[in-house]
Amino acid sequence: MTEQIDKALAREYEAGFVSDVESETFEPGLNEDVIRRISGMKGEPEWMLEWRLGAFREWLEMEEPDWALVDYPKIDFQSISYYSAPKSMKDKPKSLDEVDPELLRTYEKLGIPLIEQQMLAGVAVDAVFDSVSVVTTFREKLEEAGVIFCPISEAVHKYPDLVKKYIGSVVPKKDNYYAALNCAVFTDGSFVYIPKGTRCPMELSTYFRINEQNTGQFERTLIVADEGSHVSYLEGCTAPQRDENQLHAAVVELVAMDNAEIKYSTVQNWYPGDENGKGGIYNFVTKRGICHTNAKISWTQVETGSSVTWKYPSCILKGDNSVGEFYSVALTRGRQQADTGTKMIHLGKNTKSTIISKGISAGRSNNSYRGLVRMNPGAEGARNFTQCDSLLIGDQCGAHTFPYVESRNPSAIVEHEATTSKVSDEQMFLCRQRGLDPEKAVSMIVNGFCKEVFKELPMEFAVEAGKLLEISLEGSVG
Amino acid sequence: MSEWLESAITRAQGINDWLAPKRAHALDLLAKTKWPTRKTEAWRYTPLRPVERTPAKVIRDKVDLSPVVIADLSAIEVVFVNGQFDQAQLAKTLPAGLSIALGADLNAAQQADALTAFSTIKPERHIFGLINDALAQDVVVVSVAEGVEITQPVRISSLLSLGAESHTRVQVVLAAGSKLTVIEDIQAQGDSLNTAFVEYNIAANARLEHYRFALQTGSNVAVGGSHFNLHDHAKMNSTIVGFGSELSRLDTDIIHAGEFADAKLNAMYLLDGKELFDLHATVEHAMPNGKTEENVRCIVADRSRAVFNGRIHIHRDAQKTLAELNNRNLLLSDKAEINTKPELEIYADDVKCAHGATVAQIDKQALYYLQTRGVSRSKAQVMLNFGFINELIDLMPNAALAEWIRPIIRERFAQMEVK
Repeated sequence: MTEQIDKALAREYEAGFVSDVESETFEPGLNEDVIRRISGMKGEPEWMLEWRLGAFREWLEMEEPDWALVDYPKIDFQSISYYSAPKSMKDKPKSLDEVDPELLRTYEKLGIPLIEQQMLAGVAVDAVFDSVSVVTTFREKLEEAGVIFCPISEAVHKYPDLVKKYIGSVVPKKDNYYAALNCAVFTDGSFVYIPKGTRCPMELSTYFRINEQNTGQFERTLIVADEGSHVSYLEGCTAPQRDENQLHAAVVELVAMDNAEIKYSTVQNWYPGDENGKGGIYNFVTKRGICHTNAKISWTQVETGSSVTWKYPSCILKGDNSVGEFYSVALTRGRQQADTGTKMIHLGKNTKSTIISKGISAGRSNNSYRGLVRMNPGAEGARNFTQCDSLLIGDQCGAHTFPYVESRNPSAIVEHEATTSKVSDEQMFLCRQRGLDPEKAVSMIVNGFCKEVFKELPMEFAVEAGKLLEISLEGSVG
Repeated sequence: MSEWLESAITRAQGINDWLAPKRAHALDLLAKTKWPTRKTEAWRYTPLRPVERTPAKVIRDKVDLSPVVIADLSAIEVVFVNGQFDQAQLAKTLPAGLSIALGADLNAAQQADALTAFSTIKPERHIFGLINDALAQDVVVVSVAEGVEITQPVRISSLLSLGAESHTRVQVVLAAGSKLTVIEDIQAQGDSLNTAFVEYNIAANARLEHYRFALQTGSNVAVGGSHFNLHDHAKMNSTIVGFGSELSRLDTDIIHAGEFADAKLNAMYLLDGKELFDLHATVEHAMPNGKTEENVRCIVADRSRAVFNGRIHIHRDAQKTLAELNNRNLLLSDKAEINTKPELEIYADDVKCAHGATVAQIDKQALYYLQTRGVSRSKAQVMLNFGFINELIDLMPNAALAEWIRPIIRERFAQMEVK
């Protein structure tokens, strides 16, 4: 049975191709000069460079976290190249026509609609290739609405006041080891600003792609939703299939001002390594949002890729009546390891948070939910509900739950529930009885298991997520 | 490393007795262990300052102390006074099949067995367990012969006079098919420090009924553990009642080392003032077909702090395991604090595991209901709190103990300052 599962799980990683794009890549290594060079390449102002160097000095003093239930060889930070850009980007293209056709083909292969005319989805895309943002679509239409959506490297020049005010305000420079590293070496990412009272006219999307060998990707996303505004943001990622591990250490900061709402959805499909655990992306990401009065931040994630995941999208519920949500499906197979979850920090009165986490483990993988719900003394009348369910497929995998609950307010209510089970024989029997083949039956049961999360995803992503899950589960009959 | 630990190690190095090899091993490990800080996961919420600045000292002079009398409980008394075993308080004749003796008094063969078994159930990760290994003054071995059912409970009391330091250690061995009830009780008069560890080896088909009362309050520091090893078809039913003190920490480990073992753990703790109680309950399902049911309830009032860590670890081979953990907490004051972490670590697929944790205050509707029936608000609060705990007291198999503890808990509620 295990053999059959393994065989079925050894499916091809569809985004595993390498694009033949001539690129300019820094020699591996990390020191202050490298940071100066990155900053120089981007023509950054002095304050940005100082900020980077400050973070780098903090990082040197910090220790790599070891509390997560993941196991990987020590990373040699000197063997990574911290900057890689397609050569043709040197003279940045003014429009899509000037973009290297090979790059466009890459995104086409990935199914990402960059060509505006051909696009049906109505999604504005910022595509980040290795260290630089390649193209951002639909900018004019967004500008009409007053929405700023551009590469963060551009925002540093065009909107320095906004960037200066908010960068590092949610995830401080020395928040953690990988966040500090990101602050020092981040190369690009997206910047979004939604003005007061504006509803962003379309979904915003960023697609990240690591192409070069021995490079790391350190992007940084900053989304500011001003009072009463609303935005839905999608994020996707892929990387070529390589035998070496590559590091991805991103930082995402969300600021939801009074009455604003941010919906952040991720479909993470970095290369997970082969069935023996060779290669794959280390996905060590810090994502956090802050909610002011009556604001709402909703994180939805579908995690199927990466060899090691270390990721805890969190909400600081600072304002009264603010709401935080976390919906997650994490699927691990082969030798993947995922340690993911969320933190809900309740500071304001009547703040509410909901956590729905669905973990599916197959093959020889390990999948952990790690979460924190904290009710501070001021969180009068706050409410949390957490549901963590794990599904095991095969007897060589692991499913784990580590929820921290800290309450300091008697009027706050925290509820946590967790269950672990396998696809039951009864469920399978029922489906088989109705004429479904075992594969279809498992896929259906798993889809049902994840339904609560999928319904939170925007349409295009829900379809993609469903498909991803189906491919990943092919043949894994429990 | 703390000064307190350094002096403890120095004292331990002076001991030379039958446990010498085990003590040396513990000292080796201690030398490699870092003194826990806030960053040490197992001590995240429980600062060790009270240990570092304890005034407690080892008292060698004989002090007369005897355990509290519990009506209708005729127990076989195993009494430690300030860490020293008081032979005079042990009954002269014991029921057939039960033996209780100081490790030092055992014959060579028995002593060799006791030495081999010493500290094999208690995991090495407990730093205070290692300290106890190295420092335990008198080690008592309790054993029940094969197939023997002892109806009289054995009560192990650790009694401490004002400012005393004590390190007690008991090994309990239940041979196949035997049955025993053990009550662990600690009574301290203040400014004391004790580490009390008991290891239970429960052979195939044996049954253990277990109680641990950690009712020391005030300026006492108590760090201890009860550790259980269950073989095929062994059963245990444990009840823990704790009040907090300056620092109270209890570790329980239940190891399913055989198939079809069955473990029940009901724990309740009630904290008031500036007390702290920290319970770390670990269950290791190493073999298939095991069953575990845990119920942990906690009430914190005033400025007290409760910590609970409930870990269930299902190993690769432990198929068909059923494990459930239910943790409910009542927070009565806005200065009090509850930190709870129910953990599941699962490596087998054909298992059913669940845990749940809630933190809330008293049900407002129930409170309202009682008030409409003419019960005063404060009285209604006491009633509801008591009801929350009483459900677990009702599950205690020993009626004499339930009747004894119920009024003590009721009085505790009456004292609790309900805001």
